[in-house]
Amino acid sequence: MRWLWVLLLLAAPGWLSALAPPARAQPEEPLVTRLSLDRVEVSTTFDGASILVYGSTAQPIGPGGAEILIVTRGPEQSFTVRRKVRVLGLWFNGPSARFLDIPAFYSVAGTLPAWRLLPEALRGAFSLGLDMLPMESTGARAPQFRAALLELKQQTGMWQEDAAPVEIDANRLFSSRLPLPATIPAGEYRVQVLLVQSRRVVARQEMTFLVERVGTAATIADVARYQPLLYGVICVLLAALAGWLGSVVFRRG
Amino acid sequence: MQVYLPIAEMSLDAFLLVGIGFGVGWLSGLFGVGGGFLLTPALLLLGIPAPVAVASGANQVLGASTSGMIAQSRRGNVDWVMGGVLVAGGLLGSVIGIQLFAFLRGAGLVDAVVSIFYVVVLGSVGSLMVMESARAILRRRAQAPARLHQHFWMHGLPFKIRFRKSRLFISVIPPLLVGAGIGLLSAIMGVGGGFMLVPAMIYLLGIPTAVVIGTSLFQVVCVTSAVTIMSAWQLGSVDIVLTLLLLVGGVSGAQFGAQMGGRLRGEETRALLGLLVLSVAALLLYGLIDTPERLFNMGPG
Repeated sequence: MRWLWVLLLLAAPGWLSALAPPARAQPEEPLVTRLSLDRVEVSTTFDGASILVYGSTAQPIGPGGAEILIVTRGPEQSFTVRRKVRVLGLWFNGPSARFLDIPAFYSVAGTLPAWRLLPEALRGAFSLGLDMLPMESTGARAPQFRAALLELKQQTGMWQEDAAPVEIDANRLFSSRLPLPATIPAGEYRVQVLLVQSRRVVARQEMTFLVERVGTAATIADVARYQPLLYGVICVLLAALAGWLGSVVFRRG
Repeated sequence: MQVYLPIAEMSLDAFLLVGIGFGVGWLSGLFGVGGGFLLTPALLLLGIPAPVAVASGANQVLGASTSGMIAQSRRGNVDWVMGGVLVAGGLLGSVIGIQLFAFLRGAGLVDAVVSIFYVVVLGSVGSLMVMESARAILRRRAQAPARLHQHFWMHGLPFKIRFRKSRLFISVIPPLLVGAGIGLLSAIMGVGGGFMLVPAMIYLLGIPTAVVIGTSLFQVVCVTSAVTIMSAWQLGSVDIVLTLLLLVGGVSGAQFGAQMGGRLRGEETRALLGLLVLSVAALLLYGLIDTPERLFNMGPG
């Protein structure tokens, strides 16, 4: 990890001046941010990935200075949480709550936890923290369903809160690794980096990256979704062909 | 080697799937059954969602039964008329099964109902097999006189037609009902249903054993094809990557199993198969009554 920082430090004057055009009179950018990838390809052998969110600040960050918060949100989906109940000695899925349009992926990380840096109103405005995610639901009302959703989402790595701290180097550079689990859904992901000082957001940058399905897996999923009848016929033919071919090959062998 | 299953939307080890296919194929070759009733529970235990496990299981059974059907039809062991009636019933049954499946999925009850079907069907079939083969082993010496088939109320039903190959002149209603029952089970359990179809054809319909295997394979291939297409169309639950990986192992395993199966006696084979069927039923029953580790579960939608 260290060598990366050395490289970044050495290169910093170069890319910082490239960002701030020659006009020297302009004030220095308070916050410059980058992503190590802007496209994540989910192929047939995809087993998760991680993205490095990094950047630099004009003012010192870390103890005594300003702080950094990074929040990432994936595409929105609806999820149903069900509770198992016992009927005649057997366990069935019973009451359910449906959570509408919640982020399929969500991550918040900071040099310090968000609740220590910002008042609740501001945390709400930027959705900083799992407790600040709006979770509208229909169906069962009990608070356990919301708690279960939070727990299950965190367990699958789809929702992360302070999973890993944002690291600071030389009071100016920050970086954070964003782990994306293998089951990450396709779509546009928004990464927001906030520079926080004295319980206020003093600068922010927004970036996006795309998660795309590529290769055979993507083709299969697309055909299955958009031409399901054709897909079904193909499945029948492929299975019959494979079964027939296999028996020919293995009988000889 | 992890491989992403595009419809199940999860990553699994490809070698594990080929291995499971091989194991199930080996057992099915050994016992001369399709093996769907072992495959779908194995997929469920791996954590594959029930709709995908059932639909891909049916698709795998289709592949595994194709070559057998071709071989049997070449030898002239398929009663096409009887097969056609069974398939007609099977299509009806599988359409009903898929609708039921779609309804259950909406209600979040698919996993439990699939397990209950397995417990009830495998539990009763397994018990019958064990009892029948135990009796046969005990009475091996005292051979009963063979009879074509017995006559009972079933033979008074209307719409009789002649099934030349089976040397039968019976009503189409019983084979239609048998076909429909198997079709329903195929759609809900992801099986071919041969382990129930064959006894029903022999004991209930009185079809001669020479044409039973070929005709039942014909029914299985047609009905699992229909289940595959309807599952893909209505439920979007067929994972062809999963199916093909299972088939690679399954077809090779079946050849090995069939070679070994030749050395076993009929009664012993049936007793062993019955015990295997019963243990799968017991395993799934345990899953239903065991207090789950977590009471809540989450799914998209």
